[in-house]
Amino acid sequence: MGAVLESRARLAAVDADAAGASEGRGMNIRFKIMSTLLAAIRADLRRPHAFAHERVGFIAAGLAAAHDELLILARDYRPVRDEDYLRDQSVGAMISAEAIRGARQWAMNERVAIFHVHMHGGRGVPGFSGVDNRENARFVPNFVSVAPHAVHGAIVLSDTAAFGQVWLDRKSPQPFITRFAEVGMPIRNWRAA
Amino acid sequence: MTRLDRQSFLGADSNAILETATIGIVGLGGGGSHVAQQAAHMGIGGYVNADPDVIEETNTNRLIGGTLADVAVSMPKVSIAERLIRGLHSKARIISVQVDWRDAADDLKRCDVIIGAVDGFKEREQLERFARRHLIPYIDIGMDVHDLGKKGFLVSGQVILSMPGAPCMRCCGFITDERLEQEANRYGAAGSRPQVVWSNGVLASTAVGLLTQVLTPWYQNPPKFVFLDYDGNKGTMTRNARMELLRDHVCPHHPPDETGDPMFDIRKQSFRPRPAAAPEPARRWWQRIWNRLSGRGET
Repeated sequence: MGAVLESRARLAAVDADAAGASEGRGMNIRFKIMSTLLAAIRADLRRPHAFAHERVGFIAAGLAAAHDELLILARDYRPVRDEDYLRDQSVGAMISAEAIRGARQWAMNERVAIFHVHMHGGRGVPGFSGVDNRENARFVPNFVSVAPHAVHGAIVLSDTAAFGQVWLDRKSPQPFITRFAEVGMPIRNWRAA
Repeated sequence: MTRLDRQSFLGADSNAILETATIGIVGLGGGGSHVAQQAAHMGIGGYVNADPDVIEETNTNRLIGGTLADVAVSMPKVSIAERLIRGLHSKARIISVQVDWRDAADDLKRCDVIIGAVDGFKEREQLERFARRHLIPYIDIGMDVHDLGKKGFLVSGQVILSMPGAPCMRCCGFITDERLEQEANRYGAAGSRPQVVWSNGVLASTAVGLLTQVLTPWYQNPPKFVFLDYDGNKGTMTRNARMELLRDHVCPHHPPDETGDPMFDIRKQSFRPRPAAAPEPARRWWQRIWNRLSGRGET
């Protein structure tokens, strides 16, 4: 099974100042990533591919809990290899089962949370397209199966922000990431859900 | 004109950024109390203040906001800091934890920046490791007084900004195994540590400057790694030579794959809101009378 992603950029009309806890166990979810890593991911995702309309990759993260907050702390990024893209004109990118298998192995071996990441471009808080939502719901639970100690999910980047969703297990609602923090000089925080 | 207008050069959104920021201050004595005061002046909105101690008479030469009346009632240092902050920012979000900072880990994990004003190298290293694990910039301040024999005394100190990914306190040679061993061997026999208000103030002010750069830099590309040496005798704050040497250094001591809580398991987490802080206990009747009779005031 491959993961497919819609190519068109879509910026959801999300109020950047909107507050509120995400669904699922009444928790707030904060995703933190160093600005250098985020810049490297954006640069990688902007690289053209021979036939795919966009690139995708995987972010590994450590997890921490603080009262009612789940902290997702990005560690590393692995791009999907050129040869793991499949030809499919109906979507922006389709990746092979081998690419997903490798990411699942990463989750198991290093006890990390895995987040599928792609980019829509534009400014402001982006949103998932309908295709993104459909495909995320198909393949993210596979990570939950092999590494149930962690949460897993998907993230979409714009040029200035990010938006994401988290699978806590196979049954619970999938909450959205409430807040993002880009740790650099300066620190940038934004609300996304 | 609002009270923060004169710092508007920090950026159009700086007031909002400072208001929504939460900082952790570990150690509310000579250095940390200065930091709390200045952060409140700047309009920083959130605080996690951690210090297990109460004020003693020997603290009053340097603990900003502490009074002799506080000594009489053994006021916790975190309560003095809270009073100080509220005097400038009545609606500040303050979590005062009168325990070892390790017991307040959940509160500190949620901070944007942690400032350490602690005494020992071991504690510094633990704080830095904690901050790195949670991708939190850490700013360390410390001072010491060295006996130079016939030449007098040397007042010195350091301010270090330890950003995730950038060089750490081991990278820059400030924390070494030898220093940790020396400290461990002298444990319990250190005696009184000389401290003075002015050098604490210089170090804390410098740390608040770095804090401001991390939150709202007023110029582009400030350095991610800062190691400044203070010479109190000369009255100078200089860049340590290692600041340049380590400019592009990748820290090997805190690798990225250490982020998060070790052996975290989502299935075992309950995610409960932080319990509301218990109201501060009222001072006992004899404490209030004693303060009034001794002229130390009572409110």
